[in-house]
Amino acid sequence: MSAVDTGLAGEYAAIYAYGAAGVHLDEAVRDLAAALEAEHRDRRDALLDFYDGQGLEAASSKAAYDIAPIEDAETARALLLDVEERLTTAWRAGVASDEPGEREICLNMFIDSANAVARWKIAIGETAADPWPGRPEA
Amino acid sequence: MFTTRRGLLVGAAVLAAAGCTETPAKIIDSDDDLTAALRQARSLSRAADSLGYADIAGDHLAHVATLERLLLPDAVEAEEAAGAIADAAALAEAEAAASDEARESCLTTTSDFAVLFGEIAASRAAHAAVIA
Repeated sequence: MSAVDTGLAGEYAAIYAYGAAGVHLDEAVRDLAAALEAEHRDRRDALLDFYDGQGLEAASSKAAYDIAPIEDAETARALLLDVEERLTTAWRAGVASDEPGEREICLNMFIDSANAVARWKIAIGETAADPWPGRPEA
Repeated sequence: MFTTRRGLLVGAAVLAAAGCTETPAKIIDSDDDLTAALRQARSLSRAADSLGYADIAGDHLAHVATLERLLLPDAVEAEEAAGAIADAAALAEAEAAASDEARESCLTTTSDFAVLFGEIAASRAAHAAVIA
């Protein structure tokens, strides 16, 4: 499984998570969540174009993904933060690729993903500062 | 014989090992990009701090510390303060521009520092997004 495969699977899961969490979110963050979900759909579409361009077949999304239980607005916010941070880590891994096309698309996705994490953190009252986005904790 | 920069550096190391030159081989072959990233990190740190963005200044200082470690012994001396970044909009613009430069370094480097440049690009882009 390539880094792009992993990232695409993560984008599918993120879209699913936003769909599941959206109704639990409070008004203050609902608009941003909708915007971020739309960005994930755009990234998924860009990835599918990448596969087409490479003459490769992309995996399809699953009917459902195993996500943490959503009980209220707080768990919904936490779930989406976790999803965004995991996705940032996945895309960061692809930046190490020696294949220029793969590195570029992973880098673009990584930057967009780090951007999404920062905006979501600000929206839920956390600091967005992070010198090493997506870097796994030691 | 040595038609690429990496090949040239490898060649220099071979010649040095053979006693043909006293010039020591360098480990890093993307020092221009690392140096540029360091200068930008220092400048952005000062600007963010002066505008009250302490957390963001801290991110840049983490970049400075890492880049200084990597560039030793080719240490880059501190320079005079760059052009003024007078407000949040100017800082966001500077962060975005510096992110673009780190992104370009990530895409073009032949060194092992692609991920580092990518991380710096992503961090700066996130700063630009939340400041704007």
